[in-house]
Order: sequence, then C-alpha cells, then structure tokens
Amino acid sequence: MEIIQKFGLETKLFLFQLINFLIIVFILKKFLFKPLKRMLDERKRKIEQSLQDAENAKAALENAGEERKKILADAKVGADKLMASVKASADETKEKTLVEAKSHSQQIIEEAKNKASAEFENMNKQIGKMSVDVSSKILSKVLSELFTEEEKQKLMSRALERIDEKITN
Amino acid sequence: MQISPDLLFTIAGFPITNTVVTTLITDVILITLVLIVGKSVALKPGKVQNIIETISDYFRETTESIAGERASFIYPWVLSFFLFIVISNLVAQIPGFESIRFHTSSSGHHGVALFRAATSDLNLTLALAVTSVLATHCLSVKHTGIKSYITRFLTFKMFPIFLFVGILEFVNELAKFISFSFRLFGNIFAGEKVMATMYSLCPFGLPLPFIGLELMVALIQAIVFAMLTMAFMHIMTDKSH
Repeated sequence: MEIIQKFGLETKLFLFQLINFLIIVFILKKFLFKPLKRMLDERKRKIEQSLQDAENAKAALENAGEERKKILADAKVGADKLMASVKASADETKEKTLVEAKSHSQQIIEEAKNKASAEFENMNKQIGKMSVDVSSKILSKVLSELFTEEEKQKLMSRALERIDEKITN
Repeated sequence: MQISPDLLFTIAGFPITNTVVTTLITDVILITLVLIVGKSVALKPGKVQNIIETISDYFRETTESIAGERASFIYPWVLSFFLFIVISNLVAQIPGFESIRFHTSSSGHHGVALFRAATSDLNLTLALAVTSVLATHCLSVKHTGIKSYITRFLTFKMFPIFLFVGILEFVNELAKFISFSFRLFGNIFAGEKVMATMYSLCPFGLPLPFIGLELMVALIQAIVFAMLTMAFMHIMTDKSH
C-alpha cells in the first residue's frame, strides 16, 4: 500500500486516464482513421484506375500504330496494283496505237501507191493517146504524099490498131 | 524524491494534478489534429495530412506484414497508442516546460510545476497498459472465439503440461500490466530526473546532448509500446497460437 501511495496511484486519477484514453481512441478511430482510410482507398482506386487508363491508352496507341502500318501497307499494295494496271493499260494502249498507226500508215501508203499507179496508168493512157494522135498526124502527113486516100485509110487504121494493141498490152 | 504527481487543486473532489493538465493538453493537440486532418482530408494531401499519412502508413504496413488481414482492426489501436504517447512525451520536451510554477496551499515558496510529462504518472501508464491488455483480450475473444480463448489458459490436454503452460500464460498476462506501465513510466520519469540534474549541474550546453537523448527516448518508448501492443494483439487473435 505504501508503494501505491509512493507512486501516486489513485483510483480516480487512474479511471480518469483510462476513460480519457478510450475517448481519445474513439475520436481518433471515428474522425481520423476512418476518413483517412476512406481517402487512402479512394486514392488507391484512382491510382489503379489511372494506371489502367494509361495501360489502355498505351494499348490503343500501339493498336493505332499497327492500324496505321496496316493501312499504309494496304495503301502501298493498292498503289502498286494500280500502278501495275496503269502500266499494263498504258503498254496496251501504246501497242494498240502503234498497231493502229502502222496499219493506218500502211493504208495511207497503199492508197498512195494505188493513187500513183492509177495516175501512172492514166498518164500512160494519155501519153498513148497523145502518141496515137501525133503518130496519126505524122502518118497522115507522110502517107498523104505516098499513098492514095484508100490505102492511106487502110494503113492508118492498121497502124492505129497495132498501137492500140500495144497500149492495151 | 517525489515520484507521484503534484496536486494543483481539486474540482468537486476530483484531484487535478500537473500530469492531468498535461494529459488534457495532449488531448487538445490530438483533437486539433483530428479537426485539421479529419475535416479536410483530401486526395492531394497538405503538410499535416502528409505527416499523419506517413505515420499511419508505416504502422499499417508494419501491422499488415505481421498480422496480415487482421491488421484492419489491430492497427487503429497501435496508431492510437503511438500518437497519444508520442505527443504526450514530446510535449514534455519543450524547453522550460516544467519551469512554470503553480502556488498551492501546501507548496513551498517556489510552488509546484504546473506541467509535468503525462507519461511520468503511473496512473496514465497503468491506464494505457490496462487498455492495451483488455483490448487485446477482447479482440482475442471476438476473433478466435470464447472456447479457443479459454483453452489458452485452461486446458487438460497432455495433463499436466499444458495446464502449467496455461498458468504461465495467465501470469504472463498479469506481468504485462507491470511491464507496459513501468517501462514507459520509468523511462520518462528517469529522463525527467536526468534533465533536472543536468540543468542543475550546468544549465548551458550540458543538457543539450540529453535533450537529443530524451527526444529519442520519447519516440522510442512510444514505438515500443505500440509495437508490443501490436505483437500481443497479433498473437492473441491468431487461431493457430
């Protein structure tokens, strides 16, 4: 008992300290630890959400990159195909145009040849006609002095026939 | 040497000692802290909230690493003990804390100290010890069941070995009251006396290293009390023990 007195132990003071501490624990638990825990949980949730969002954004970015690459590859393939078809078509057109031009020029040459031969024939005929006329005039002039009118006619017609034959041949 | 706190006055028969005044100051500081942090708790913490969060996180993580899921109901007790003890210990380290005197009818010419470290009063340390041990036992009954709780102290398995072990356990629980209360009381009370001696020997310079030492003791004792409470709560709420 003396020890208790020496240390100043007193029921009233002990109970006061006990109740006081329990009240403090209650206040701390209810008004500090609870809101703090709620806030920490909320912060944890937000951080996790942010990390998830960042992860999603990263994945979306990667996907977009892949998509871009794919689109570019597709576009390149399309462009190559188009280029090839355009080239083929151009070659075809060139070929066709060349063939057409060739045939056209052939035709023009043919036509020119025909025209030239027709012209030549016509010229030949005219020359023949002219030579017949000149020959008949020369013959009539020469023969009028050597033969009678009847002989002249026979000779002339025979000569003219021969000329005609030659021309026609 | 006077060990008991000094009586200042009485209110309706209730004795107000200098340690009671310091306990009330500690209460005011804690309630102010609760009002500052608890009311304006935000996702982006302020300075005070940051400090409280750091302390809270430290104790919660330590409790989780030891008690696992049971940390959710253990750590509020641990943190309460720590905050209360550390604040009451640190308040007493304010220079000139004990030099404010109070005149009573029975005091001499110099009067008595108005403030004295709350934890240098055995009434408080014993109250804390009783709270710690009783809370531990209540949690034990709640989480392991009454049957498991009783068999810790009274079992006829492998008679008489475990009966003897049970009696030892019971004595151990009684010893906790003494060890908890006297450890804290002794350290702080001895610190006070050491500081008083140093100030009386040479008030300039000499107390300086002891102030550092006392600050460390103030913090270490609070941690020791909180950690021991945590360890006992973990042991007593573990079904496998």
